[in-house]
Amino acid sequence: MNKDLASGLLLLALAGGYFWAAETIPNSMLDDAFGPRGLPVVLAGLLAFLALILVLRGVAGLRTVTADAVANDEEDDGEPDAALPRALGFLLIGAAYVVALPWLGYPVSIALLIASIALYERARRDWRLPAAAIFGGVLFWLLFNKLLGVAQPSGVLFSALFS
Amino acid sequence: MDSLGLIWTLSTTTWIIPAALIGLVWGILGGALPGISASITMALLLPFTYTMEPVTAIVLLASVYIGAEYGGSIPAILIRTPGTNSAAATVIDGYEMKRQGRAGEALGISLWSGFLGSMFGLVMLVTMTEPLSWLALAFKPTSYFGLGILGLSVIASMTGGSLVKGLAAAVVGLMIATVGADPIAGINRFTFGVPELLGGVEPVLVMVGVFALSELMVQSGASELYELKEKIRVRLPSWDVMKRLKRSQFIGCIMGLFEGLTPGGGGSIAAFLSYNEARRWSKEPETFGKGSIEGVAAPEAANNTVASTTLIPLLSFGIPSSNSTAVLLGGFLIHGLLPGPRLFEQNGDVVMGLYLGSFVAIVGQLLFGILLLPVCVWLVNRPRPYLAGFILALILSGVYTLDHSLFHVGFVLAMGLVGYLMRRAGFPFLPLILGVVLGHMVESSYRRSLVLSGGDHRIFLEDPIAVGLLLVSFGFIVFSLGRDIREARRARQVAKPLELKETHP
Amino acid sequence: MKKTLLALGAFIAAAMPASAEPLDYPHDVVTLVTHSSPGGGSDVFLRELVRYLGKQIKTNFVVENVQGGSGAKAMARLAQSPADGSIFYATTPTYIYTSLLSAPEYKYDALQPVVNFFTDTEVVYTAENSPYKTLADVVAHAKEDRGRWGAANPASLERQAAEQLKAAAGVEAAIVTHEGGGDMMINVLNGTLDIGIGEVQELRSQIEAKQIRLLATFNPDRLRDFPDVPTVKESGYDVVLQKFRGLAAPKGLPDDVAAIWDKAAQAVLADPDYKKAYEAESLVANFIDHTKYPAFVDQFVAQTTDFLKKSGVIQ
Repeated sequence: MNKDLASGLLLLALAGGYFWAAETIPNSMLDDAFGPRGLPVVLAGLLAFLALILVLRGVAGLRTVTADAVANDEEDDGEPDAALPRALGFLLIGAAYVVALPWLGYPVSIALLIASIALYERARRDWRLPAAAIFGGVLFWLLFNKLLGVAQPSGVLFSALFS
Repeated sequence: MDSLGLIWTLSTTTWIIPAALIGLVWGILGGALPGISASITMALLLPFTYTMEPVTAIVLLASVYIGAEYGGSIPAILIRTPGTNSAAATVIDGYEMKRQGRAGEALGISLWSGFLGSMFGLVMLVTMTEPLSWLALAFKPTSYFGLGILGLSVIASMTGGSLVKGLAAAVVGLMIATVGADPIAGINRFTFGVPELLGGVEPVLVMVGVFALSELMVQSGASELYELKEKIRVRLPSWDVMKRLKRSQFIGCIMGLFEGLTPGGGGSIAAFLSYNEARRWSKEPETFGKGSIEGVAAPEAANNTVASTTLIPLLSFGIPSSNSTAVLLGGFLIHGLLPGPRLFEQNGDVVMGLYLGSFVAIVGQLLFGILLLPVCVWLVNRPRPYLAGFILALILSGVYTLDHSLFHVGFVLAMGLVGYLMRRAGFPFLPLILGVVLGHMVESSYRRSLVLSGGDHRIFLEDPIAVGLLLVSFGFIVFSLGRDIREARRARQVAKPLELKETHP
Repeated sequence: MKKTLLALGAFIAAAMPASAEPLDYPHDVVTLVTHSSPGGGSDVFLRELVRYLGKQIKTNFVVENVQGGSGAKAMARLAQSPADGSIFYATTPTYIYTSLLSAPEYKYDALQPVVNFFTDTEVVYTAENSPYKTLADVVAHAKEDRGRWGAANPASLERQAAEQLKAAAGVEAAIVTHEGGGDMMINVLNGTLDIGIGEVQELRSQIEAKQIRLLATFNPDRLRDFPDVPTVKESGYDVVLQKFRGLAAPKGLPDDVAAIWDKAAQAVLADPDYKKAYEAESLVANFIDHTKYPAFVDQFVAQTTDFLKKSGVIQ
């Protein structure tokens, strides 16, 4: 399966799901003639049409010249892009942080996040790993909670311990 | 006299000057990190601007952009890796100079040319944007529709080789913009009972996820490529050298002006064009590629000019012509400021503050560019695993400040995945961002116009501003498509013989 | 002599609340929650209020911005907090609209309105150079030709005011909603719209610059600052609308705590320093105590529900 076919099918599914959700938008007397559903329906149709072209192109095996590097303002520096499982793993660590935050509290979660990412990115396992994690946890906590006054979650664990 | 008074009040009563310097420092450091482009450097700071005064926030972001343009040339010259895309042209002669042991001189020329380019850009910005402000009152809902379409038409030049993929990205962006309360009837759309979605999706979340997070994902597992050992000090050019650079810097400024005015690649095209032109007009073209000082001066003047002139279409029409200006537009939108003619009427102090802040940042660049070099070198030498960890920590913490909501943090993670998949499948980002940013304006002004006319589309033809803007968009689309088709045909002609060989071995 | 003594007594009694010791309160820290962002309407209201409230109630006030979902998140926060007087929410019509339109998990009925501080209203205005001198002129024009009326926000009190005025006058006018009052004002000034319906606070500088003219107010009475501007009702259309600003607590607030707030709210509104501050913002003090406030809010809910149902926005 090539990239055009895969992305075409994905977008087709998105167009379908979006259209279905747009159909559930209720009517209202305050609506104008075009209505809240007008644009969504047009967009769903447009995306379905574009996705079909991609699917057809993918099926026909027509490779197009892609200059995505130019379009995205980022350049290829010789290193190939990380494979999907590797990138998903990276994302998973971020998701684990979101889950851990309300329990462990902000400084601990951030320290763990930094340590996990460093390990995932194959940092050498020496004294620098815990040092960087603890330094990061304290630095971010000072920066956000103290300097910027953002109430990052203190965590169930610590509220229970200290109250 | 009035504006002088305003400048005095702004600089004494607001945080503009500190913001300009902090932004500058952040921009130089971020730009110096390979892989962290100007837009990513700005996107990382974006969530923090939420609680700031509007002027401070805008100045901060604009100064980051200015700083990043210089910062990007540091690794370009030292380790042959441009820190930002627009510093790619600087690599050619900059790295050559470094190999000849003239790294300090190259950095000095980059700094000096960047300073001149930025100053020229700022003067152009101030003189060319102000006259447009009289339009403010003349803009009706129909005119805003024309403006939105003009903004979207930029997509035609941003499709990166595949029109279908560019358009699909834009449509998905527009879809994201329809989430939340409907702009005319006030009904909730696509909120699925999630309270965080009632107010719509903040463009910031899409930007941070798609630009910054997906970059980290793409780089995941990459090995270290570089290490810098020697000590380097910036040497500003002497009077004699300055005079020799004038011609190439002038070329850079002019190229930067044009690139800034037209939607395009955010400085990289101007940098390469001015490099070529500087060689053509040089007295010693044979030195280009062999460590020519003009070969560093021209692209650096050009990309710094773009950092200011690209604000002209942004401020006067609300059209972001590059990733970096799209992020800056996000900064405006966070504070409920809609760039466009009305901005000058209603928020003149913000515009004036932006001019002042840019000026401070540009002047500060000369000093901080020299002082920060050791820090940049230290930062570039940090092990990548730790850098990735700290940047991710910054992204996830910063997003939380927007609304104190873990939902937003999760949403950014999802946008990171979207950005990663888009990169892998060759979809350009800017159409997506434009869709998210402009969707609301296009839809609401279209529907508002039709409510006014009772459903009659002729109302758009009755407004000369709308007609003018729509014609310009149409012309722009035709021009871009024509160019794309010509290029595709050329590519096919080159590819044909190869295909024949493959099918008939 | 007796009379003067009585008058003196009355004077002292009247001055008492302001000069009395702060009232005792069962909590050391009281959190005041708002759904608006720092610098937004309710945020400014709370932060200003807290500066003077310390003189009345012996406790520490903390203002917390629980943004998101136009109040949906803030209501959820309140509903899940103890009803002991340690947390309050700044009420505005927004939380009613959000409850009715978005059907969030926790609605207005999970909260108990405690005291009201201010009421506020919408006004009808037009550009200074427009041909309309009175609301009747506007309606007459809408009868002949299609009128173009602006409302500052979609599905809001402004929209409700416009729709009800349209119904009361029996005309077919296009009602154009906007994203905020500033957005709409430009369209009134450049003649795209006949009239706009918005808040006085947003119009002050334009009124002073004589760029716009007030035609009527939806308030039950004429506005103190603009005694020449008639009410909509006086102009012959039976529409009256009031915005409110007060505090609500989680349901089940003890009566003795509510009574402290009744006293404190009255006293703080009489505080001359605070009075100077809020009158400059053209806020009109309208104290409603904890026994009557729930009924006031319920009446607003009933009126809004009726409008939203009739217009088909909600079923």
